[in-house]
Amino acid sequence: MPYLETAQLWLTQSTLLLQARPATTRITSKYTIAPLTSSKPSKPRKSKPGNESATPTANPAPAPDAPRATLTLKTYDPASGATLKYSTNKAAEVSRLIQILGRLARPMSGLPEVKDDVPILGAGAGVEGEGSGVGTPTVESVPAAAGGGKTGQQAQGGGAGGKKKKKGKK
Amino acid sequence: MSTGHLSNDDFFLRLSELFDERRRKDHGSIHLTQKRMSYGEDTDLETSEPTIEQPFPDLSPSKPFPIIIRATNGKSKDRRDKKIKLSTIVEGGALDGFFAKYAEVCKLGMSGLKKRDRSKQKEKLKAKKKKQGGGAMVSEVKKG
Repeated sequence: MPYLETAQLWLTQSTLLLQARPATTRITSKYTIAPLTSSKPSKPRKSKPGNESATPTANPAPAPDAPRATLTLKTYDPASGATLKYSTNKAAEVSRLIQILGRLARPMSGLPEVKDDVPILGAGAGVEGEGSGVGTPTVESVPAAAGGGKTGQQAQGGGAGGKKKKKGKK
Repeated sequence: MSTGHLSNDDFFLRLSELFDERRRKDHGSIHLTQKRMSYGEDTDLETSEPTIEQPFPDLSPSKPFPIIIRATNGKSKDRRDKKIKLSTIVEGGALDGFFAKYAEVCKLGMSGLKKRDRSKQKEKLKAKKKKQGGGAMVSEVKKG
């Protein structure tokens, strides 16, 4: 049950899991406010019985008005047992995390990915242009092979076009 | 036990109430779950059986599945009588709108989280303004 370091990492991994198992994977968000500070130090004591009596006192008790809430996101697939978790206590992350939930709802629903393949399309077109640009001077420098050169160039362009991602439409 | 699914708007209303209720106590939690709704008449029975042509029918459904969103206050077992369960179904086409509103409700509801510490940023901003202050004033005067 790993906790992932960043929300981005959690999004990436969860997307992969959802793409693999969209029918069974579920996402749970848990918003918890921990009980009052008095009960908090008891937890480490329970887990570490005996000799380490210094640790609970070493832990600085959080200020009474300090925020004790956390938001934990969990992606779980009961069929494979895969679990991905991310936890935060920052209010600033909430709206982004819910956005991520919305994004993840798309593969869950069976819809194509969010339309951020538009820049990828643009990049693909750029590569295509570069390819023909590289191809042109070689054709000019070797005029003897020019007959076959043009068709080869066209074939190149077609190949690059084929690599384009399909546009995601509903 | 289940009271049936709420409409999206009712769900938001009740979810806000759920968050408010939790705020009155000093601890507790709220669980939100989202999952593909593949139960009931929505299930496409013909495509649910794997075939050689389509070994993973759930990966390419003929139509988008609705998503079910559930919310509970985490009370179970001995305090089950206090348990509040909400659920709503979001159609594939309505996801974007739903999650925009969902984000707002959650942002308001999850007020216990740590606010962004702006004090350091403000100091930086002040220092910047002091540096750029003179030049900016002059340009404004010129524009006017």
